[in-house]
Amino acid sequence: MGEFTMSVPAKGRFSINRRYLPYLLSLPALLTCIGILIPFFTAVIYSLQRYRLSQPWARKFNWGENYLNFMTDASFWNTLKVSMTYATLTVGIELLLGLGIALLLQRRSTFNNFVSIMLLMPLMTAPALAALMWKLMTNPGFGILSYFATLLGIKDLNWASDPATAMMTVVIVDVWVYTPFIMILLLAGLRSLPKQPFEAAELDGVPRMFVFWKITLPMLTPFLLTATLFRVIESIQQFDIIYAMTQGGPGDTLTVFQVEAYLNFFQSTNVGRSAALMMILWAITYFLSNIFIKNWLRLREKARGEA
Amino acid sequence: MSLKLTNITKSFKDDLVLNQVSLSVEKGQTLVLFGPSGAGKTVLLRLIAGVIEPDDGTIEIDGLDMQGVEAEHRGIGMAFQNFALFPHMDAHANIASPLTARKQTKDAIEAGVQKLAKLLKIDHVLSHQPKELSNGQKQRTALARALAGEPATLLLDDPLRNVDAKLRFEMRLELPRLLKDQNATVIYVTQDYKEAMAFGDTIAVMSGHGIQQVGTPADIYLSPGNIETARLFGDPVINLLDVRPEKGAQGLQVQISQTPVSIAEGYSNAVDTDCILGIRPEALRFVDKDMPGAFPVIVEAETPLNEKTVNLMRTVNGRELMLSRPAGSPGPSEGEAYIAVNTSDAMLFEKTTGNRIEPLHAAAKSGDSA
Amino acid sequence: MEQVSTLERILRGIAISFVIIFFMFPILWIFLMSFQTNETILQVPPQLFFEPTIVNYEGLITGQLETAAGSLKIEFMGNLFNSLFLSTAAVIVGLILGVPAAYAFARLKFKGSEDIAFTLLSFRFAPPLLVLLPLTIYFQKIGLADTYVGLIWVYQLIVLPLILWIVRGYFEDIPADIEYAYRIAGHGFWSTFRKIALPLAGPGIAAAGLLAFIFSWNNFIFALVLASADKQPVTVGALAFITASGINYGQIAAGIVLSIAPTFALAMYAQRYLVEGLSLGAVKG
Repeated sequence: MGEFTMSVPAKGRFSINRRYLPYLLSLPALLTCIGILIPFFTAVIYSLQRYRLSQPWARKFNWGENYLNFMTDASFWNTLKVSMTYATLTVGIELLLGLGIALLLQRRSTFNNFVSIMLLMPLMTAPALAALMWKLMTNPGFGILSYFATLLGIKDLNWASDPATAMMTVVIVDVWVYTPFIMILLLAGLRSLPKQPFEAAELDGVPRMFVFWKITLPMLTPFLLTATLFRVIESIQQFDIIYAMTQGGPGDTLTVFQVEAYLNFFQSTNVGRSAALMMILWAITYFLSNIFIKNWLRLREKARGEA
Repeated sequence: MSLKLTNITKSFKDDLVLNQVSLSVEKGQTLVLFGPSGAGKTVLLRLIAGVIEPDDGTIEIDGLDMQGVEAEHRGIGMAFQNFALFPHMDAHANIASPLTARKQTKDAIEAGVQKLAKLLKIDHVLSHQPKELSNGQKQRTALARALAGEPATLLLDDPLRNVDAKLRFEMRLELPRLLKDQNATVIYVTQDYKEAMAFGDTIAVMSGHGIQQVGTPADIYLSPGNIETARLFGDPVINLLDVRPEKGAQGLQVQISQTPVSIAEGYSNAVDTDCILGIRPEALRFVDKDMPGAFPVIVEAETPLNEKTVNLMRTVNGRELMLSRPAGSPGPSEGEAYIAVNTSDAMLFEKTTGNRIEPLHAAAKSGDSA
Repeated sequence: MEQVSTLERILRGIAISFVIIFFMFPILWIFLMSFQTNETILQVPPQLFFEPTIVNYEGLITGQLETAAGSLKIEFMGNLFNSLFLSTAAVIVGLILGVPAAYAFARLKFKGSEDIAFTLLSFRFAPPLLVLLPLTIYFQKIGLADTYVGLIWVYQLIVLPLILWIVRGYFEDIPADIEYAYRIAGHGFWSTFRKIALPLAGPGIAAAGLLAFIFSWNNFIFALVLASADKQPVTVGALAFITASGINYGQIAAGIVLSIAPTFALAMYAQRYLVEGLSLGAVKG
């Protein structure tokens, strides 16, 4: 065995290593995030205070008053309603559209793959910039879409600056950006489904609608659920598109949670109310993300198992 | 360099994998760990290598307690069942890795790699990436890597399992010599009893989270500790028959094919208990009808098996028996016949536990038959 | 699927065409717009054929904007630089922090590791303003307000969970025996991490880095809240741009094109990993 004798190091060195190594490795990441957890707890405290930046002298704990006030606060109910409407409309449309496109592109072919890659471009566009692009296209003066609208006989369509069409406009932008997200997730899901049930159904001459409802959809459910929850969580927090498009206007038409909180903080400098709004949004997303993570983990295990 | 394991216990979460395993191997000796998959053989190797830690128990290499000693300091070479070659390094770099770890000079590394590569006949593929190697070449590369550090302890985890039959045959001849030349303490894991018999100075039979039996290949074959071990060693597999030993006119006997057959007097304590009689196929032979102990069977088939011929037969009660004899030796290929067994070759096992019943004053006898 | 009727083929074709038009037209239109002067843009009906000009890009690059009202200075190149710098730095920091942690979570199961990993994941879903608003006040106190360091730190909110969960999956895919073999051959823990784990998880680490870069680049809210004009990335800068008086619409379009081109290029390059990245490793493409 020549010169390669064992060199047994001093005892203890290894046990320290083994026990603390994982913490050593993950500590920097943890510390970074703890730095972020502190503001979270601060936000909890702010939400329990009467706290206006403009009146620092009047800052004091009012405990649940910010939350209680919401009960009778019409603008809070408006925020809740607008956020829910936005999330429902965007995710609903994106889901249908995304599923439809995924089914269209399901078969692997050069053309289909090319189209699915092309459709990623809106998703890779910063949502704020996407809003800006649509703002240029919906400009009542020179926007191409406004021109198309007049061709269709719709005069004076003011898109985002008209309370009647503002929601529709931002929803279109959201659909434009995020449908590809649902599409590629479902496409990956569809293509990962086992082939046998479909071949068997085709051999047996089962009608295609029946196959879709009884085989495809049930097997796709975990993917649908993950994609939907993912999008709902993001959509209910949407800020970029709405802020870049209208800053919550016209009036309070589009004051979703984060926009309302942002305006409360920076315009009315009402830190307490802003923090309380964020806490409510956080509670909603926390609830949703717990359901999401369970589904997501199941999918992840499956993806890892197949690898 | 000796290796000693004492009361090693290991669980993963709630699954007990090893329960109180103790073993020792002397320097330069080869111990074969033999057992079905899931018996914990691989886990035991990993514990010895130091890549996982035991929950309890001690591992000593050359008298030094290995607790707290990292894998890289244990002076071990290991070959994995799935080869575990570094996929991003060529064969040369794979083999050299134990040498680079020891900060050898370039010339020394080159010399070491070349020597092993020549010995294992892979010197022409040293520049290949693992994915460009055939299974046999992968296996040899993995073996060369394990040997390159001239380890005092060599752990071989079923290295011939994933290679083709021809290569396995060659390696079965080559490996024992190679291992002897290394003068290392070797632990060799296998599920193939022929490999176990060919390589092992000692064989440890593992199953059910522990060691069932430790002994020389002859011990294990001739005196298996229990039915399971008896079945695992031997091809064709041992004949097993339900019997009830009784005292007859000729002494201790059992009924086979409605004929009394004598068994060793040492089994007298098993009289009138449910037992299982084990007879190796090669212990049976065709005899004349009137020979004492001869019992009738119906020969159903004859199959040549390498240097042997195997007959499948049935007793009068319809139980299957196998007889193996040298190829070309005379014997009926079908129809009625009579066979007999040497009294000393019939083993008895307890039916309830499966453990072999040690015949009284058996020590001297088993020595004779070996 | 093989026997598709002609009618169905036509319907599918029409549907695909609509999909392509809806999703591609805005990009095409803005791209065309960026090569037009204000005069052609403002024409009604809009012109599909025009004399392309690169004055818009010239103006953005030189930072001098000649308008009817006079000369205007714009900071677009500064914004572009900020985007590049912030995203690159955020990804580098994220990789330095996240890759070792991912390895710890993948290989060295330790007490509380799953809880910590999920806590990190939950940041991905928490409303950003919840953290950002108190953070503006803290940052002012500790001098991180309107600094690159502060922004890069906050970017870790989106970068870390992504890197952690994607890279973790790639580490888990490396057979443990390969790392064991390297250890047994005589190499220490760190050496094994560097020479085996990192190279074998290399493609995954690169993909996670690229995706994290794209998400950082596309982020809007962090910089909107925490950065003043000279630290703003393109997403925030472009917004200020549209409200500036006397600006050319073609220039806005050119700014958008320059701002989205890098992410498009990276996305095309990393498209094999996009599905996995967007689903945080839950779905493989």
